[in-house]
Amino acid sequence: MARKTQDWSIKTIVTIAIAVVSISFTLIVSAILFSEFSSTVRDNATVSTREIVRQINANLSYYINDIVSISGYAKDLAKQVYPLGKDEVEDKLATILSSRQDIVSLVLFDLEGNAVLSTSEAPLRPPEEITAQKWFNRTIGGEGNFYFTGPHVQQLSTSAYPWVITYSQQISYSQENGEMAQGLLLIDMNFSAVSELAKNAKLGSTGYVYFIDNNNKIVYHPLQQLINSNIFNEDIDSVEDYIFGTFTNTFEGRERLVIIDTVNNARWRIVGVAFMDELMSGLNQFATVMALILILCIIITIILARYVSGWISSPIKELERLMVAVERGDFSEPPTVKGNQEVEALSKSFSLMILRIRELMDDIVKSQELKRKFELDALQAKINPHFLYNTLDSVVWMAEQNDTEGVIRMIAALAKLFRISISKGHDIITLGEELEHVRNYLIIQQIRYQGKFEFSIEVEDGLQECPTIKLIVQPIVENAIYHGIKYLQEMGHISIRAYRRKPGAIVVEVRDNGVGMDEEKLTKILSFNASHTSKASGIGVRNVHQRVQLYYGSDFGLEISSELDEGTLVRIVIPEGESIHHIKVVQP
Amino acid sequence: MKRRYIASLLTILLIISLLGGCSKRDEKRDPYRIAVITMMQGGEFWGALKNGARNARTETGTVLEFLAPINESDYEAQIAYVEEAIAQHFDAIILSPSHTSRLEDVVQKARSKGIKVVLADTRLEKSTADLFITADYVQVGVEMAEHAFSLFEEGTPIHALVLGSLPNSTSMTSVVSGLVSTFNAHENAKIAYATYSFTDEALAKKITENTLEGDQRVNMIFALEENTAHGVVNALPKDRDIKLISFGTTQFEVQLLEEGVIDALVVINTFNLGYRSVKAAIDLLKNNKPVEKMVEHALVTKDSMFSEQHQRLLFQTLL
Repeated sequence: MARKTQDWSIKTIVTIAIAVVSISFTLIVSAILFSEFSSTVRDNATVSTREIVRQINANLSYYINDIVSISGYAKDLAKQVYPLGKDEVEDKLATILSSRQDIVSLVLFDLEGNAVLSTSEAPLRPPEEITAQKWFNRTIGGEGNFYFTGPHVQQLSTSAYPWVITYSQQISYSQENGEMAQGLLLIDMNFSAVSELAKNAKLGSTGYVYFIDNNNKIVYHPLQQLINSNIFNEDIDSVEDYIFGTFTNTFEGRERLVIIDTVNNARWRIVGVAFMDELMSGLNQFATVMALILILCIIITIILARYVSGWISSPIKELERLMVAVERGDFSEPPTVKGNQEVEALSKSFSLMILRIRELMDDIVKSQELKRKFELDALQAKINPHFLYNTLDSVVWMAEQNDTEGVIRMIAALAKLFRISISKGHDIITLGEELEHVRNYLIIQQIRYQGKFEFSIEVEDGLQECPTIKLIVQPIVENAIYHGIKYLQEMGHISIRAYRRKPGAIVVEVRDNGVGMDEEKLTKILSFNASHTSKASGIGVRNVHQRVQLYYGSDFGLEISSELDEGTLVRIVIPEGESIHHIKVVQP
Repeated sequence: MKRRYIASLLTILLIISLLGGCSKRDEKRDPYRIAVITMMQGGEFWGALKNGARNARTETGTVLEFLAPINESDYEAQIAYVEEAIAQHFDAIILSPSHTSRLEDVVQKARSKGIKVVLADTRLEKSTADLFITADYVQVGVEMAEHAFSLFEEGTPIHALVLGSLPNSTSMTSVVSGLVSTFNAHENAKIAYATYSFTDEALAKKITENTLEGDQRVNMIFALEENTAHGVVNALPKDRDIKLISFGTTQFEVQLLEEGVIDALVVINTFNLGYRSVKAAIDLLKNNKPVEKMVEHALVTKDSMFSEQHQRLLFQTLL
């Protein structure tokens, strides 16, 4: 598969180019879009989560302020024990509590741990147990000191163990004797009142809100029981140093959005934890849809790229196909390729080129034909002067003998001979005319060689009108007379026969009973070697052979067989063509 | 060629989307259904277990059904509940068998139907469930015995009464074996009586009364279940100093602990037991490996009861 780029087809290159450009463009656009969208989603999630946390904080602050204001009211009442009396003050406190389900108990202790005012009906624990408790000894120190505990099991009485959050403050109160004294006000809030504030806050689907105090101890956590059982860990460490703010971190393999806010009046902090994967779950859906669209885009791009590249390259391919055809020699149709401008221009130029080549080739054919004609003419021209000289010599001789009749016959035959020879400049004549030409020639020769030979001419039916190049039989007959019959003592005989030979050939057979040839001479003649110039005997034969072959191709030509003292047989083989008309050289 | 490309691309897409679709069970639309079959309907012990299970349900969205007989010793009812769970094609069963052998057949049946069975607290003798989650009860017995020794002055002979709940539950037999082995290693200490109350408070009271009356030397009682402990407390004579270590986290027991009637309370974190059982069942259903860990326990005394750690254990159901 290690193909070089230049080996690739235009189609492939265009496809790849379009696909790469548009796919990378799509990818870049989607990446930008996705990152924009995800940051927006992130921002929105952060904002809404922070809003929830702020809301809870507001509720909690409101609740704590409420408790503080109740404590303020209780403080005022504590100062009125004298002159109102203890029972009336306790009644007033009980009235407040009856409207507040969330306050478990409100008790005023003196600094020794004895209850001064109490709304609790159950007997309280002995003072030494009260003072030992954290909320008590932490608050003692000066008037106004206050303390919020974390959730704990309250140990005011032995009959109940409620989970509470304790608010305690050192205050001054009036004793029944009217003297002012320092005491400790305790308000126990039902822990569930606080936990309800945050319990139902859902950040994402499993995010939550928890409270921690200033010692980084958990005040409330919705998963408190899991934390107790060491099943769940809270990441307190990373929250430690923050008073408020927002950050993301990864804890136990999950990315968390942590929002911290400080609760007024309580030295507590509220921490919202949301899980990024939940907040961003919409993003996953978006990503899936986007990925699908992206894949669809890529598929469409590839299809489109292939289509466009096909549209560009198919005319080029077509042109290439035509060029290949031309390369193989098929000039039949000038190529016209429809397509884009450039290819059409190319096709036009190419077709012009083809036309020009065709013209040039025609020119070459014409000039070749012309050249051959000149050659033929030249060969034909070789026959005439020699024969004419001899004939006219005979005519002169006959005229000297006053053989007028002989002269007339001779000249008439000669005239016919020339008529056919000239044949109005045609190269092709009918076989009948060719044989008529030979007959006239033989008549002339018979007169010249009185009683020396006789001849016969036979033509198979239907061959009279067959075309042949002219003057092919006469040179053979001439040879038969000059080289065969002339040296014969007895009567010579020349028999000429034209017949068909399958497939599609005509044979004109010239048989004489002359002296014949020996092997050597025959071979020389048969070789038809043009360089062989020794004797005139070969010229005529070679001339005919060359002409036949020039005109009809190498399948045709002469066949010669000869035997010494037996005679010679020459067959001129030509193709059988469609019948043609006489040239009307022979006058009826 | 072009068509083939497109066809193959589309096929790949289809396969991806199909794989994505079927690889995950949609737990929101088709949550797992788990039957939680405890030994008894009421009680702090089982209440905390259910509470833990509910916590896990909230977290996972599982559907839980709690099934339990009225009486802890009623293993026939437990068998019936397991059968019911099988009939209703629950995905998993969390079971605390109240009999080590009688529930074996029905557990095997459930497992053969492809239901995952997690045994919580107690197990079966022979057949293996998919998972067993419990506390280290032998160690609990050892700690109870050692704490008992610390309650007496050196050299005082200890005659102990051990009062368990069910004779055929593995948690009981394990605690007893821990107690026995520790007592055997101690001079002057002896488990004089060991019997079972079948979680019947009245029966426990009766046994205690009879034993204390019949044997003046008995000065130590181990009550291995909360109802049993209530019975024992009611039977304690005012004129004898009898040490008592019991299981349980009932408010009555807590008060008695504070009053000094009960010397130590053994608290098993059954919240954790319930939570982990449900989580483990879901892990098994999802072919994940569940956490294998003992459920923690604690021995709470009057001094430690309000410590941060122990108050959360002791008062967990009140939170």
